[in-house]
Amino acid sequence: MATAARFHAQPSHGKQVYDAHCAECHGESGAGDGPSAAFLNPRPRDFTSGKYKIRTTESGSVPTDADLIQSVKQGLYGTAMPGWDHVLTDGDIADVVGFIKSLSPQFQSAQPMPIAAATPVPSSPDSVGRGQKAYEKLQCAKCHGTDGRGAGAVTTTFMDDWRQPLRSADLTEPWTFRGGSTSRDVYLRFRTGMAGTPMPSFKDAANDNEMWDLANYVVSLARKPVWSMTADEVKAFYAQQDADAKKNPVTRGEYLVNTLGCTVCHSAYDDHKRVMPGKLLAGGLDIRIDPYGDFPAGNLTPDKETGLGNWTDDEVKRAITKGILKDGTRLLPFPMDYGSFSTMKPEDIDAIVAYLRSIPPVVNRVPHLKWASFPVYMWGKFKMLILGGDPPIVFFPSAGGR
Amino acid sequence: MKRFLKWTAIVVLVLAVIAFGCFLYLIPPFFVVAPETFGKQMMDAPPPVADIADPKERAIAERGLYIVRTTGCIGCHATNGSQGPDLTKYLAGGALKFQTAHATYVSRNLTPDKTTGLARRTDDEVKRVLRSGVFSDGHVVEGSVMPWPVFSNWTEEDRQAVVVYLRHLKPVNHQTPEPVPGNAITIPGAFEQDYGNKDYGLAPAK
Repeated sequence: MATAARFHAQPSHGKQVYDAHCAECHGESGAGDGPSAAFLNPRPRDFTSGKYKIRTTESGSVPTDADLIQSVKQGLYGTAMPGWDHVLTDGDIADVVGFIKSLSPQFQSAQPMPIAAATPVPSSPDSVGRGQKAYEKLQCAKCHGTDGRGAGAVTTTFMDDWRQPLRSADLTEPWTFRGGSTSRDVYLRFRTGMAGTPMPSFKDAANDNEMWDLANYVVSLARKPVWSMTADEVKAFYAQQDADAKKNPVTRGEYLVNTLGCTVCHSAYDDHKRVMPGKLLAGGLDIRIDPYGDFPAGNLTPDKETGLGNWTDDEVKRAITKGILKDGTRLLPFPMDYGSFSTMKPEDIDAIVAYLRSIPPVVNRVPHLKWASFPVYMWGKFKMLILGGDPPIVFFPSAGGR
Repeated sequence: MKRFLKWTAIVVLVLAVIAFGCFLYLIPPFFVVAPETFGKQMMDAPPPVADIADPKERAIAERGLYIVRTTGCIGCHATNGSQGPDLTKYLAGGALKFQTAHATYVSRNLTPDKTTGLARRTDDEVKRVLRSGVFSDGHVVEGSVMPWPVFSNWTEEDRQAVVVYLRHLKPVNHQTPEPVPGNAITIPGAFEQDYGNKDYGLAPAK
């Protein structure tokens, strides 16, 4: 079907919807490698594999059309996948699901195998109590911790089938449960497993009633989200968060680096605007600011030769907060936004440094920044200020690769 | 006497050229401000949350302020005046224009203005842009223009805090244009070109 579609002059409607709304993350070919994919955690789905987490079908089976439509409509909570209901029409969604299915041979060779319907066990203190026993019996704590937040877990970090990092779900934050937070949603995850992740189907290890009890127990673990708290609870929650951040600076630093936008510039790109594999934070985006010069984003990994390995912590902090490099070069306040970063709490800046020290070193030699020569600068300034020119800030994919 | 006048004229001319050169060299947007000054401007720019009456809302907005300030939303969503960014119109947008292979965009007005700002959007609509880059008309913005893929990594609670804070900004009536589709790249090999010397917003809506 995919091959056939390629010979049509006019792309199918499903493909058009896909290109306009899905390709930014899932990539033109559907391999989960769109321009935005590298920054997202979790990564967007690779549609070529035919593996889907959120299903109502047996472990190892492809999802039903209804499953896919549901995921597109509702979105996947706790990820970048939004609900497309009210944005796309039902017809658009049906067509795009048809197109997505055409990206994987699995859907041609296999039929979805829906699970047998099971009678729900309504939530009650008894059911929750039995669910807690099932939690112990099925050794959920090994990955999710005795408190559902990873306490005492053997490990909470994994690799998925695409060798991307994965963290076990925090069971106290139901608003991040990908497929929804009702007892039925949670039951379905136990019953079907989550394909591509270490979360198995418990079909053979537990019976339906046990899985329903377990679902009721997991739902009972929910904590209050900030927006439902009282003023005092909010303050206590933030104080606890700050204390946790101080205790685990690397985790806090990872959060900051991945949300402040460091990755957007300090990475090397291919010609399709995608971060080259392994080049996240290894520097490379080349930024030309007329009439000032060329400012390639540096390698932030702890490589001794080409990265921050030979910088002291204070030098890294000075670069973040004052825009002054190891050799004393001063940067423009844009695009390296040291003005804003300097307003961070000192412990947050420490955390960023701690995280940058903890990532694997990547050898990627980025050219040194190059100020424009004096006549070029003066002429550019004259054009800009006297002749009213508007010189662009130009982004080139990769300074190292050109 | 003639000779004296001639030399005076030459000296004046040379001084004038040098002065003009210095003026060109030093005038913004060459940023000769000390980093401390620049950092302090960023520290003082966001409107404080102290006068929010509801203590819960205040605590959440304070967290939002910290995120908005440290993330540097103002880097793109400023409004340019005649002397560079006008920080009194905090986050009223229009200061930056982005040209990509897909469209031309201008940074938007994030203040809670009823006709030109975010007061037109629900919390869910604002959060959807921050989480997924999907605007209320359904178009998806590129992550290299609006870095929503990194804001997508905010916890839902932090994202909520950002929205709560944005709701407490001073409303500024400043219309910013909608994106214009089409390849706007004019520089070979570039994957994006941005412009930032003017106010790219439109005249205030009546």
